[in-house]
Amino acid sequence: MSKVRRIVKELEEVKTDLASGITLNLINETDISHLKGTFQGPPGTPYEGGLFTIDIKIPNEYPFKPPVMKFDTRIFHPNISSQTGAICLDILKDAWSPILTLKSSLLSLQSLLQSPEPNDPQDAEVAKVYISDRDVFFSEAAKWTKLYAIKNEQPTDLVKLYNLDSAAVQSIVNMGFDQDKVAETMHTLGMSTISGTGGADENRLIERLLG
Amino acid sequence: MKVRIKEWNAVSIWHWNVSEDEVCGICRVHFDGTCPSCKYPGDDCPIIIGKCNHSFHMHCLLKWLELETSRGLCPMCRQPFQTLGEDEVITT
Ligand SMILES: [Zn+2]
Ligand SMILES: [Zn+2]
Ligand SMILES: [Zn+2]
Repeated sequence: MSKVRRIVKELEEVKTDLASGITLNLINETDISHLKGTFQGPPGTPYEGGLFTIDIKIPNEYPFKPPVMKFDTRIFHPNISSQTGAICLDILKDAWSPILTLKSSLLSLQSLLQSPEPNDPQDAEVAKVYISDRDVFFSEAAKWTKLYAIKNEQPTDLVKLYNLDSAAVQSIVNMGFDQDKVAETMHTLGMSTISGTGGADENRLIERLLG
Repeated sequence: MKVRIKEWNAVSIWHWNVSEDEVCGICRVHFDGTCPSCKYPGDDCPIIIGKCNHSFHMHCLLKWLELETSRGLCPMCRQPFQTLGEDEVITT
């Protein structure tokens, strides 16, 4: 039973390694074939701040055959199906090696979030967006992260999310407008800052806020 | 694949000389222990060393190489796995 012994070892290893930020747990103590793993979205990507859950099924031939992994958390990424969470990653298919572990596979998924491979897409629609307009891709992916991967105990800071000039936002808030509403409106108008007080930007924004 | 098995102690010494890793990368069990299919360490469950200097329990590696998906490659470095001749081991 190489499978059972190895998975027990792998679970122990992940539990003692807090630095990687990876978690790995059995869904049911009596079934060694079905696990859930989680990892954090990498910083500097639209997935930053998100916690992504991966469904893991272990075939009987493990570790000679790769684990079957898919995203439980919905995600906007060229190599992951936006509908089913199915993953296109070579090491989970032909390039699997028995020295790879569930932890190293989860770390590979984390780096896949960092460097998408649009030429080998799992989701052609998402890949199209990624190739044609990187800004649109980024904001859509960040939106999905916010919607599905960030557990909202505190309300999201929209000023940060939309990368707005916080001094500019504050100057409008000081006029008596709600901060989130200001941030949403600036984002809709495509403004990240406001040039000059009393200028065209400010007028346009206030008009919209009042309208 | 033909593998000649020497005395357990000798195998163990080769291992310390040629590999910095103490665990079989396939089953993740220490080389002092057996592969998951064996009960007793030693001649019955030898260690195999490749020309690439990567070592595994022989039983673990054979299970991998039997699979078409392995394409005969070393699990560590993905070069075609070839065993090291005995003479070469000793001079290493
Ligand atoms: Zn082994
Ligand atoms: Zn054995
Ligand atoms: Zn090798």
